[in-house]
Amino acid sequence: MKFSKILSIAWESLTQRKLRTSLTTLGVVIGITAIISLASLGEGFRLEIKERMQQGFELDVLIVIPGSFAAALREPFTSPEVNNIRNVTGVKLVAPLITLPQADLYNETNEKVNALTVAAVNFSEITQMLSERFVPMEGKIPGPEENDTIVLGYKTCFWNETTPLVRVGDNITMQIEGYSINKTLRVAAILGKSGTSGITNFDYWAFIPADTATQLMRREVYNIILVKVSDPEQSEHVANAIEDVFENPYSISILVPIAFMRQVDRILNLVQIFLVAIASISLLVAGIGIMNIMTVSVMERTREIGILKAIGAKSRTVLAMFLTEAVLVGIVGGLIGIITGYGLSYALAYVLSSFIQPQQQDTVFQAPETQRMTLNPVFSPEWTIIAFVFAIIVCIIFGLYPARKAAKLDPVEALRYE
Amino acid sequence: MATFLEVRDVKKSYRMGKFLVPALRGVSFDVETGEFLSIFGPSGSGKSTLLHLMGGLDRPDEGEIIVDGSNILKLNDDKLAELRLIKIGFVFQFFNLLPRLTALRNVELPLTIAGVPEKESLKRAEKMLRLVGLEDRMNHRPSELSGGEQQRVAIARALISNPKIVLGDEPTGNLDTKTGWEIVQLMKKLNEEKKQTFVVVTHDPHIAEAANRIVHLKDGLIAGIEEAPKGR
Ligand SMILES: Nc1ncnc2c1ncn2[C@@H]1O[C@H](COP(=O)(O)OP(=O)(O)O)[C@@H](O)[C@H]1O
Ligand SMILES: [Mg+2]
Repeated sequence: MKFSKILSIAWESLTQRKLRTSLTTLGVVIGITAIISLASLGEGFRLEIKERMQQGFELDVLIVIPGSFAAALREPFTSPEVNNIRNVTGVKLVAPLITLPQADLYNETNEKVNALTVAAVNFSEITQMLSERFVPMEGKIPGPEENDTIVLGYKTCFWNETTPLVRVGDNITMQIEGYSINKTLRVAAILGKSGTSGITNFDYWAFIPADTATQLMRREVYNIILVKVSDPEQSEHVANAIEDVFENPYSISILVPIAFMRQVDRILNLVQIFLVAIASISLLVAGIGIMNIMTVSVMERTREIGILKAIGAKSRTVLAMFLTEAVLVGIVGGLIGIITGYGLSYALAYVLSSFIQPQQQDTVFQAPETQRMTLNPVFSPEWTIIAFVFAIIVCIIFGLYPARKAAKLDPVEALRYE
Repeated sequence: MATFLEVRDVKKSYRMGKFLVPALRGVSFDVETGEFLSIFGPSGSGKSTLLHLMGGLDRPDEGEIIVDGSNILKLNDDKLAELRLIKIGFVFQFFNLLPRLTALRNVELPLTIAGVPEKESLKRAEKMLRLVGLEDRMNHRPSELSGGEQQRVAIARALISNPKIVLGDEPTGNLDTKTGWEIVQLMKKLNEEKKQTFVVVTHDPHIAEAANRIVHLKDGLIAGIEEAPKGR
């Protein structure tokens, strides 16, 4: 028998039992809808998290700090150590930072200017290192000879969002407890809003030139070293090479953002697979429904099958007819399921997005505007194809038993069946 | 005349729970090419069983059945199906048409199974329906046809692949006497015109009379073979 004929017979047989066929197909539709929407929302969620993380971290910047869980806190880094790091292959740029503990800032009217961290940096290095973040909103970043200056993070200056505590050109007094330091600095620039929440959110920081700091503290040591790598994918290798620069590699810690991100991505991937696996159960239930209904159908059509075999249909022709019916249910159910799955994904994304908006809070750690989570379904052709093929495979597997039952019917017995 | 089908000492019993019910207890006879043979006997004498075996729908427990030179015991299921498709046409007491298909589609079915292109198969099915006098009932479903008309459709279906032998199991058993007689005449006419072999099972003596030969069956055994009662 020609396949085209088997196909048209199977199609007719399905369309002649409309209610039964639609209910069987509905099972597949629900299964595929669940898979598609969970997969696409999972993917959307994953990409959103990834994007957030990329904004929070410069993926090509490693952060080297002294001390680790494995070793007691060690001394800050020395200039020779910083220079050794500069020579490591794969390192593009190095910017050491000095953090000044207990530094308090006051403006000209003696109001306190709140900075979470005051850091001393080489301005030309840091602007090269973080060219997209370290951008002034007002004023300009001090040149190499401009000592006794200060650059303020956005929030440090605009503490209450409206009126600035200081303006470019104003003087700021810096006091450091325990060092009896009382230094006047000129405000050279105010940084723009960083728009991230990660390690390079400088909104609450203030920066002074490294030379000014070393003069004040009378020593040249660094608490944080930022290392820009030429190829982010090679981050782990470069990090290992940097560890080898130190006598005791366990005495330092290196934050490798891309490794962290890969790990998070892996976890989210697992979560997504887990979600889809749960959704797949509904497709299996649909498969059992197909088996159930097809078994009934084979019993009802016993006589018909007997006639077909009596007039010369082979067992495998009968098998093909019933399997084709099952596959058609899978194809139609799968296609409809893909469409409804896409629809449901958008609907769910819309509803879920309104739930995950952060509450407005008046805290230091208030999320910047761009931090709003948006959940958009992301449809990958892979998932769509996998879901579709899965629907058909489930239909074949569960259709096989009743189809074989039909194919194995003894024609004489089948003709006697009333 | 050449022998088309041989039945050699055929035995067949059915299992009914613990018991074996013998349906055929050693039956032998030949069917000659082109003849119109009738198998006559009371209900339960094993006529249907014999006909099913002759048509390759089932296999004997013992003995041999040779159809057109091939022993059906030596054919696998697929080969048997092929034999039924190409060489044998069945006509049943209860017509056994597919209720969802029109007369035309029912007649076409064996050709569809054989993979004949639709254009040709439809043409041949139409021709066949015309031959059995149903040219104006082609697109009716079985439920819209009378018993006699349904049996004509079944005959047309049996003949569509131009089989060498047509096997009828009480083809008139479900029809009134007049219609039954018409069906027998139709088969007789086809037998004469197309030189196809006919074996018709019946327990109606009037039908049996139309045959060249009558095999009398009783309790699974041949009670006698009667040569053309009225001659021909
Ligand atoms: N499938 C079957 N299972 C059990 N017994 C059967 C079966 N088919 C036929 N028989 C028995 O075999 C005997 C012959 O049956 P059958 O060939 O149908 O006779 P006929 O067609 O002459 O009425 C009967 O006793 C019948 O009950
Ligand atoms: Mg019978």
